Amino acid sequence: MRGGADRRDWSGLLFVLPFLTAYLIILIYPLLSGMALSFQRVDLFGGGRFVGFDNYARLFADETFVRSVLNTFALALMIVPLLTVIALSLALALNRATRGAAVFRGVFFSSSVLSVTIVTLIWRFVLAPDAGLLGETAQAIGAEPIPFLSHPTWSLWALAITTIWWSVGLPMMLFLAGLQQIPGDVYEAAALDRASRWTTFWRVTLPALRRTLVLVVMLQTAAQLQIFGQAQLLTGGGPGGSTRTMVLFIFESAFARWELGYATAAAEILFLLIVLITLTQYVTTMRASEGEDGR
Amino acid sequence: MAAEASRSRWSPLTLLAILLAAAVMLAPLIWTLLLSLKENEALIGNSGAALSPPYTLENYRSILQGNQVFRWLVNSIIVSGGTTIGVLALCSLAGFGFARLDFPFRRTLFIFVLLGLAIPEQAVILPQHQLFADLRLHNSYPGLILPGLAGPFGVFFMTQYMRAIPKELDEAAMLDGASRFTLFWKVLLPLTMPAQATLGVFTFLASWNAYWWPLISATRSDMYTLTVGLAAAQMNYAQTSGLGFLMAQAVFASIPIFIVYVLFQKQIVRAMAGTAVR
Amino acid sequence: MASLELSDIRKSYGATAVLDGVSLTMEAREFIAFLGPSGSGKSTLLRIIAGLETLDGGEVRLDGRRIDQVPPGDRGVAMVFQHYALYPHMSVRENMAFGLRNVGVPRDEIERRVADAARVLEIEVHLDKKPGQMSGGQRQRVAIGRAIVKHPKLFLLDEPLSNLDAALRMRTRIELAQIRSRVDAAFIMVTHDQAEAMTLADRIVVMNDRKIQQVGPPMEIYSRPANTFVARFVGSPAMTLAPVELVPDDGLYARVRLGDGAEIETRVPRSELPAGGTLQIGLRPESVAVAANGAATTQAKVELVERLGERTLVYARLSDNRAITAEDEGYSRVNVGDTVGLRIDGAAAHLFDAEERGYHAEARPE
Repeated sequence: MRGGADRRDWSGLLFVLPFLTAYLIILIYPLLSGMALSFQRVDLFGGGRFVGFDNYARLFADETFVRSVLNTFALALMIVPLLTVIALSLALALNRATRGAAVFRGVFFSSSVLSVTIVTLIWRFVLAPDAGLLGETAQAIGAEPIPFLSHPTWSLWALAITTIWWSVGLPMMLFLAGLQQIPGDVYEAAALDRASRWTTFWRVTLPALRRTLVLVVMLQTAAQLQIFGQAQLLTGGGPGGSTRTMVLFIFESAFARWELGYATAAAEILFLLIVLITLTQYVTTMRASEGEDGR
Repeated sequence: MAAEASRSRWSPLTLLAILLAAAVMLAPLIWTLLLSLKENEALIGNSGAALSPPYTLENYRSILQGNQVFRWLVNSIIVSGGTTIGVLALCSLAGFGFARLDFPFRRTLFIFVLLGLAIPEQAVILPQHQLFADLRLHNSYPGLILPGLAGPFGVFFMTQYMRAIPKELDEAAMLDGASRFTLFWKVLLPLTMPAQATLGVFTFLASWNAYWWPLISATRSDMYTLTVGLAAAQMNYAQTSGLGFLMAQAVFASIPIFIVYVLFQKQIVRAMAGTAVR
Repeated sequence: MASLELSDIRKSYGATAVLDGVSLTMEAREFIAFLGPSGSGKSTLLRIIAGLETLDGGEVRLDGRRIDQVPPGDRGVAMVFQHYALYPHMSVRENMAFGLRNVGVPRDEIERRVADAARVLEIEVHLDKKPGQMSGGQRQRVAIGRAIVKHPKLFLLDEPLSNLDAALRMRTRIELAQIRSRVDAAFIMVTHDQAEAMTLADRIVVMNDRKIQQVGPPMEIYSRPANTFVARFVGSPAMTLAPVELVPDDGLYARVRLGDGAEIETRVPRSELPAGGTLQIGLRPESVAVAANGAATTQAKVELVERLGERTLVYARLSDNRAITAEDEGYSRVNVGDTVGLRIDGAAAHLFDAEERGYHAEARPE
């Protein structure tokens, strides 16, 4: 039966079906089979054997894994606050309708379009003490170059600096978009109230950017918990496991030691961590801000 | 521009800070470019030589004279192009279905798809790898393209865009005797061109820069994408193989992406800002 | 011959009924306006005729053919949408040709029809423009053109003038009347603007509360409203309604007493009124005039004076606190706070019974 626009029929499903098929087979099925896989012992020769929570128990006892979790958290804690502050500062400085500001916005966003391998390639030869830009500069002024890539205390910072350089563009753009949403008359009112620039920033700009701020922190936390390429390519997880991140651990377990079930269990833990942390961030900030929306 | 002091000049101190930050931003890029313009021998044990002439295009000539990098470039173009076309096709169809038609379980299905936005790559990539191994799809173009088609962001994006188009147009088309497909093809699709451009560029960039999946799926060097190929190149790097040549590969690999960036800057920024609605 | 026949149309969204047994028959080439407040069901009815909404019960026939299960494009109707709904990416020419292409009209026939319509609507020079490059009035013409080229049996116009400014609305109203006389088709227009309905329509269908309240030629709707809703909805400012008592006597016409004691001799035949029950009188402003005390029926205190130029509207209250609207000449000397005499023209008064049904003076001999 054919007829009116509001008649429900199945033909609409035909348009959705191609995507749904891909979604089910390539995303949902692996999601579920991954959960199942994490309870199995699977090795190079295939064949899964159900082992219950064995993989998980082993993971928590595995120093390498625990270390990788700590490394990942450390990295996120180093990167997210710094990245947020830098991106916000840049956005505040570049939120102008001038040609110069547009050029600078382009400069700070440009690194974001590069792939992780190009970024690590670039930074390896910036950070390397013997052949890098920093090393050369240090030698030129007669200082001892910092062993960024080869010393455990500096190696995490090498990853953090590289990552901040790489990913400052997106949060900056998000903050700029947020700043554009603030109506100009709010600032005029603040000026009439003789608010100083500092007061204006804390009392007007920052509260208005709260949603953007939450978003940036959530997106960045989720992204940084999944750091992989930088660690794999710049430091190879070393020296001495000081930069092995969770994803690198998963990668090595799966493709160097071929412990698929074990690696999947680690991946499930990471998945859970990401969901928990971003959810906590969301809930706490939303609760804290309830009733504050005066606009 | 609605915001504060939008047309005023920077104070000298702010300007200095911005210039400094820009220098930090650009120095690694310039350094890379300079290294790539030096003869490999000149850099051995003394990469500082990059700061002074003579410069040469020798390394780029080597790339163009039949190097694997070229093959990787072609792979990247095929994979990113294929992914982009596939995503646009699937997401436009699905967006039309979700936004403009009514069918049983439409809302439920849409929510089911939205939940997928919360799934990180790590939660699925290992089982995906197994699945594609079972299907014998590794080291093939479909193997590199297909995982990119399953992400729900594009569906969400197109659905939102199509919802904003007045429903009256559909009704006018129905009275004009248009079938559902004519409505999609002749009326709505042309109206979503800005969204197609945004989603297209976003997908192309993401696919071009994808690392994890091509790294484990393309294990034969002739199936590498540029991103994976460059990873292999730097892993295998030894000073004797030529620092200048390595950096020339990096520059060469970033040229296409910078071209896309310059051409589609507006769409990229919009796509990035679009993640804000998630 | 009848063109459109609606019989017992029913429609509800979930538990909310929006149309409750609507029936209507249209003459060939008739122009009918659906008039009513928003939520009255008039738009839903139009959309059911177009095929954009399904119906839960009843039948729609056009030229004898049942069409309520036929897809919108095959019904032989064309619609002009409130916001025009032109395809923004197509030129004016393509907009008009789109529907014809979809049903496989030959190319040269399409050309001819588009050219004809463009000539009639004086949009020939705009044929290759996109809608976005045109003014509101021009877009309106394209929307009409897109309907005309289909040679429909029935035009459906959904608030066609509501998006135009006042001057353009007047002009388009005249043009609509001209187009109407030129094409061999019936018209249905949905509007909430009574002036539009009165000037364009052969008959007005007043709708409220899911039902047709009254169907009739414009002047009949105005002068013989079927019930209090129609009485209050049609006419501006609205008719004054006030409870009255029937004065018992044996006259041919009903004599009633207002709350303040004033008596009015109506021309409503006493025999038509129901026995017992309450009554309300309906007085249009033009039948209540400000008058010198000698000629006055009653007195009222003025609350608001609205000077319209050629006449003045006086909003006042009777001594029993009932609101009443009266009319005075353009140069009225009435001021707010004055107590003025009002002369009520009983011959033009309407009466409404407890069921809100209207009773009117005997039809004037034509």
